[in-house]
Amino acid sequence: MGLGQLTELSDGMNLLELRKLITQENINLYAEASRDFNPIHIDGDFARQTPLGGTIAHGMLILAYISEMMTVAFGQNWLTGGKLNVRFKNPARPGDTITVSGRISKIESNEGQTLIRCDVLCENQSGDSVITGEASVRAEKRA
Amino acid sequence: MPEKQRIEYSQLEAGYEFSPSSYQLDSSIVTAYLKAVEDTSGLYQDNTLMPPMVIAAYAMASLSETICLPSGTIHVSQEFEFIGAASTRDTFISYARVIRKQSRGKFHLLIVNFNVINQNQKTVLAGKTSFILPEYSEDT
Repeated sequence: MGLGQLTELSDGMNLLELRKLITQENINLYAEASRDFNPIHIDGDFARQTPLGGTIAHGMLILAYISEMMTVAFGQNWLTGGKLNVRFKNPARPGDTITVSGRISKIESNEGQTLIRCDVLCENQSGDSVITGEASVRAEKRA
Repeated sequence: MPEKQRIEYSQLEAGYEFSPSSYQLDSSIVTAYLKAVEDTSGLYQDNTLMPPMVIAAYAMASLSETICLPSGTIHVSQEFEFIGAASTRDTFISYARVIRKQSRGKFHLLIVNFNVINQNQKTVLAGKTSFILPEYSEDT
């Protein structure tokens, strides 16, 4: 789905889903890339002694997956007119497969601008919500 | 990014402004980020644009390097607004400010707003991050 097809968008339309396997290697790479070295993410010995019982992925890593889904759907408009408002519900752990999905909840048009609101969800393989919330993107409407 | 002096959670109050943090995200950083998040979007492949979440991640890292949060702190919610596209040629300055600090029984809520501008003083992204600090005592 690209912006050129804005006129084809409609309420209830699903965005292209992403599926990501969480590995400790990915988490370690993300820690390096983002400079977030909180031991709950990268130190198994430390993490096992916490109530979480083991390492968890950075919430911002999972948010990056939502951002990727929105980029695939809306292209550069996401970079200049995107909004995210989410809650972290459950941690994602190494070995989890995270399904990232989105559904257009409302399309509002006003004076040549279109605001597309989407419900977004990240779930693990057991169907537990990891992240829930809303993403929206503002774009110039094409004729 | 030089190491900063950290402020304790107990010293924070609504209105507190963290020291601004300046950084650049060169192509090697962006490439490492894209690899970590397994993002193969064609949009970033010529290194002209960068994913907004890498800027957000660095804004969050700047914040976490400045504040001492007790262990057990949970990142509960996050808002971002992506306002301007950014490239590896840009320099960013991240500003952060406590907008709410509240206690409810043993639980403490901390909400921080942040804003990232580029070298032309244009806002690239804005955000709001919320933490819950469970079982935290001001005496600890």
